[in-house]
Amino acid sequence: MRYLLYFFRKHYYYFLFVALEAVSLVLLVNFNAYQNSALSRVSEGVAGSVLEAYSNAFEYLSLRRVNRILAEDNARMHSSRMEAFYQADTNSFFHKDTLYKLEYKYISARVISNSTHKRNNFLMLNKGKDQGIEVHMGVIIGNRIVGQVVSVSKHFSWVMSLLNKDSRISGKLKKNDQLVNVEWSGGNYRKGDVREIPKHVQIMKGDTIITSGNSDIFPQGLLIGTIDTYTIVQDDNFNNATLKFATDFNSLSYVEVVIDLMCKEKEGLKTSFKSSN
Amino acid sequence: MTIIYLKNIGRFFFLVFFQILILNNIQFSGYITPYFYIYFILLLPFETPRWLLLSGAFLLGITIDIFSNTPGLNAAACVMMAFIRPFIISSISSGTEFMMGTHPSLKNQGIKWFAYYSVILILSHHFVLFYLEIFRFTEFFQTLLRVLLSTAFTLLLVFLSEYLFYTRE
Repeated sequence: MRYLLYFFRKHYYYFLFVALEAVSLVLLVNFNAYQNSALSRVSEGVAGSVLEAYSNAFEYLSLRRVNRILAEDNARMHSSRMEAFYQADTNSFFHKDTLYKLEYKYISARVISNSTHKRNNFLMLNKGKDQGIEVHMGVIIGNRIVGQVVSVSKHFSWVMSLLNKDSRISGKLKKNDQLVNVEWSGGNYRKGDVREIPKHVQIMKGDTIITSGNSDIFPQGLLIGTIDTYTIVQDDNFNNATLKFATDFNSLSYVEVVIDLMCKEKEGLKTSFKSSN
Repeated sequence: MTIIYLKNIGRFFFLVFFQILILNNIQFSGYITPYFYIYFILLLPFETPRWLLLSGAFLLGITIDIFSNTPGLNAAACVMMAFIRPFIISSISSGTEFMMGTHPSLKNQGIKWFAYYSVILILSHHFVLFYLEIFRFTEFFQTLLRVLLSTAFTLLLVFLSEYLFYTRE
């Protein structure tokens, strides 16, 4: 026993090293961005308020750009109002209450921390559970996508940006509705990868890729990016391409969180199908 | 003695805030991220007890982690760096005695000594950090490039501040 204690005393440095390293690795593996409980309490406390103060101090620097984006958005929305359309057929009419039902609601939120230089990038927004934000909601800016909410606390939410190794967006080619997957392989934050393009699909530089609406996170038809280069893979069933993101991830200051009002209904349908089988 | 403690605690907070509020918002071409906060570990006094060295590094890493929401990532890298520090010091100093209360510096130890010391330590930290962050080997060479470029940039900052805040002790 005495020798054992002596042994520990003599080599305590190695044991302490192994212990601290083990604690770090356990933290790293257990509390990644998907687990929210312990982490969001910390981020809500100290980190959230420090980062928010910092973002408050520098907010005015981006006002000019924010204004421009808002003006563009306004113009886009004005042009999609009912009044903007010329009605050719005066006989057609519709009941607004049964034919049109509100499916998506948007909450605007301020980005209080953001990064583009890491392999896994996240954003923190200044709104959380109290404002109705929940995990798995999509985040967009104008009509371009940004990422999805992975954890929420009372007043803040943590968003996995598209620039993340775990991010995988279901998109489609605008011209022929072919489904593809969009990922990011690190490095340049302006360029992403398009995976799993079927061999028979003709693709060209400049083709637009939009969200497919298959994932229940983003509404259909949001802009992801345009094709930049195209490579034919010889021994695979799919081809790959790179795309230029429509979103400038380095200049996000205000974003919108998408609330899918029919989310529960869709989920319920899926689970009832699963349980009946 | 107390003044050395206070100096190091002050440096700890300064570097943490400098890292979180300024350096974390800087990026060059997606490959370079300066992690200057490890300058704290480089500058700890020679006679720092080993347990304090390891726990200080752990505390530094976990603080940075809380602010960048990567629990354990920076802590693991910092502990690794602090662990090899005594071995590096003893292997490159060939039995020279250091004065009490001094810390490794460019002016006291000479450029060659300090360059060896900081390159190896920064490289070990960045290596652990970037490979733990990606956690897979498919992007091995891309990650290696990020490690090397970021090491070069952190090293530049370390040497710059060695020249800027130089006081002979």
